[in-house]
Amino acid sequence: MIEFLLDGYSQAAPYMQLVQQVKQGLRTGLIEPGDQLPKVRDVAESLAINPNTVLKAYRHLEAEGLVEGRPGVGTFVRRTLAGPTLAGQAELRRELVAWLRRAHKAGLEEEDVVALIQTTMRATFRNDETREEIA
Amino acid sequence: MIWLAWRQHRKQGLFAVVGLAVLAALLVPTGISMHHTFTDSGLAECLRKLGTAEFLKPGADCDSLSSVFTNQYGTMATLGMLSVFLPLLVGLFWGAPLVARELEQGTHRLVWTQGVSRLRWALVKFGLVLAGTLIVSVCYALLLSWWLEPLSQAGQGRLAELNFDVQGVAPVAYTLYAVALGIFAGTVWRRVLPAMAAALIGFLALRFVLLLGVRAHFLPISERTYPVIGQIRPNSTLGDWIYSVGIKDASGKVVAANQQIQCAPAVAGNPNGPCAAFGPGAYNFQLYQPGGNFWPIQFIEAGLFTALAAVLLYLAIRQIRTRIA
Amino acid sequence: MSMALEAHGLGKRYRRNWALRDCSLHLPAGRIAALVGPNGAGKSTLLNMAVGLLRPTEGTLRVLGQSPGGNRDLMDRIGFVAQDTPLYPDFTATELITMGAKLNRRWDTSLARERVERLGIPLDRRTGELSGGQRAQVALALALAKRPELLLLDEPVASLDPLARREFMQVLMGSVADGETTVLLSSHLLGDLERVCDYLIVLQAAHVQLLGGVDELVSEHKTLVGPRRERASIAGVSEIVRESHTDKQTTLLVRTDGPILDPAWSVHDVTLEDLVLAYLAYPAPGRAILGVAQ
Repeated sequence: MIEFLLDGYSQAAPYMQLVQQVKQGLRTGLIEPGDQLPKVRDVAESLAINPNTVLKAYRHLEAEGLVEGRPGVGTFVRRTLAGPTLAGQAELRRELVAWLRRAHKAGLEEEDVVALIQTTMRATFRNDETREEIA
Repeated sequence: MIWLAWRQHRKQGLFAVVGLAVLAALLVPTGISMHHTFTDSGLAECLRKLGTAEFLKPGADCDSLSSVFTNQYGTMATLGMLSVFLPLLVGLFWGAPLVARELEQGTHRLVWTQGVSRLRWALVKFGLVLAGTLIVSVCYALLLSWWLEPLSQAGQGRLAELNFDVQGVAPVAYTLYAVALGIFAGTVWRRVLPAMAAALIGFLALRFVLLLGVRAHFLPISERTYPVIGQIRPNSTLGDWIYSVGIKDASGKVVAANQQIQCAPAVAGNPNGPCAAFGPGAYNFQLYQPGGNFWPIQFIEAGLFTALAAVLLYLAIRQIRTRIA
Repeated sequence: MSMALEAHGLGKRYRRNWALRDCSLHLPAGRIAALVGPNGAGKSTLLNMAVGLLRPTEGTLRVLGQSPGGNRDLMDRIGFVAQDTPLYPDFTATELITMGAKLNRRWDTSLARERVERLGIPLDRRTGELSGGQRAQVALALALAKRPELLLLDEPVASLDPLARREFMQVLMGSVADGETTVLLSSHLLGDLERVCDYLIVLQAAHVQLLGGVDELVSEHKTLVGPRRERASIAGVSEIVRESHTDKQTTLLVRTDGPILDPAWSVHDVTLEDLVLAYLAYPAPGRAILGVAQ
């Protein structure tokens, strides 16, 4: 079972943070179909947040078809996001490690690397989106 | 609710029981010895023989026995009179904190938001404390009444200041009044110490006014006269409360205040004698409440204080129901 | 939608000062509402009227559909934790729970004991010897033992240290998740309540300044930045809450009633905190409260 965290400095709304953490768990294989998500009460208590926030996150996930609520029992994972990409992750990770080493040799500090990745990611995915829209 | 009131105030109850026990430990042995001396010295018999005649013939009195007795127990009697302050203590330590402490600590907000009305809360709390007050003050009044019996008979009588105030039904009413005043002051000042101060002042003020100015006039005052030249004297063992004496001349004009004088006819002619200054026909007078009025005056005063206590409690409940949050 | 709390033209006067005036608000059932405002804004007055400790000077107040003054039946359904969490200092937690059982018709003794025990608070120690955080927890356990439909808390965490604050909020949120309880809790700091509330009432100087669901309020309000313009009338803006100008630029915090289409303005989202601070800094007594609750 996953444990939720809330980042007080994050721009994202608390319920969105919970949604993202579930999705991340699904992508990395930390949670799998059939797993139960923490009970609303327990999340509300451990994070000291409004139970409605947790409910909202779970309903959001339900609307996306990722989880299903069984009344009186709990909320369970229906499908995973890992899918075929999980297998490819090991290979990608190896390449990323090699690239990071090169970047380090080239004199980039950790912060430079993060900045480079973020700006590149933004530009790349935005271009892809625009292209898709045009298409 | 009764459970809560009992739980909150049981400690005060315990203190009261201990206090009464201490008082009894002091008064019971001394009282027994006083009663024995009163009988054994022959004073009781002497007073009985003297009867209730208003005037006494020369030599027919118990003065020597009385003075021996009062000399022996006078100091103790004075100490006993200190118990006149006990009702005040009950008012200060039971009455004043009863509501004021709740308001001071904010616990009224806890208890008034449970499923019990403020009226019921107040009635149960007041009821319990008043019942305790009644028990304690009745014990105290009975104890003091018994203890003071020989001293009153030998000395100034039950109507005398302070004697009157610690026996009979009056002390019970004083205690109820003190507690009610403390409770009411607590609902007005809402803090324990100011409530205690207000109760202290309110209690002493009324008691002093009643004692010094009003009590003697509850019932019509009697006047007793006897000649300056003569040998019959008033019987001082009737328990009368003599609050004014003097000498008037034949025309009824007061010629000397605060004194009494008598000369035997045999020596009255002496121009240097003490009685010469007063002309023929002069007489002593005493304004007094007869000892027989003890119980009527007790009930009048007790009634007055009890009625005041009732009014104060009513006002306190009104404060609680409408004014305080 | 049923209302846990409804006030119309509510006012309370102490001698010559109005602690609360012309206060109209509603709190839908099932919400967790924050009552925010500086000290002396009238928060305690409102809460004390809601639990029947105070009587309104004017206006009407309905709590769970009933009038609160001297209403015993209503008090069975309301849990209240007063400011500074008053408890009898010479009572133990067990005795306080017994007291609750004797004074209330609806009372869950085992639930209260369990809550206190689970937090490791000794049941047979006098509450006067407990820490502030533990006392607050005992007071909360007492309020929850009624299984209330409406739970009102007056500055419950104001005097607690950060750890005790968090623990208090954890227990509160966990308990609220168990039932359908509507919660109204006050604080002079929004930060204490930002994570827990989904409804907001901002009071200042005896008046309601802002009222509504948090999500709706946040999405309705925008910050607009554009070229300097005085007294701008902008399509889509229903009210300007705060405006500031430099020699070239104007910044507005506005409430919108439609999309801002004017390209001269760049539109930014606001945080709840910005919003509350703006309303507190620029109070408008008698500011019309629009129907934002639905």
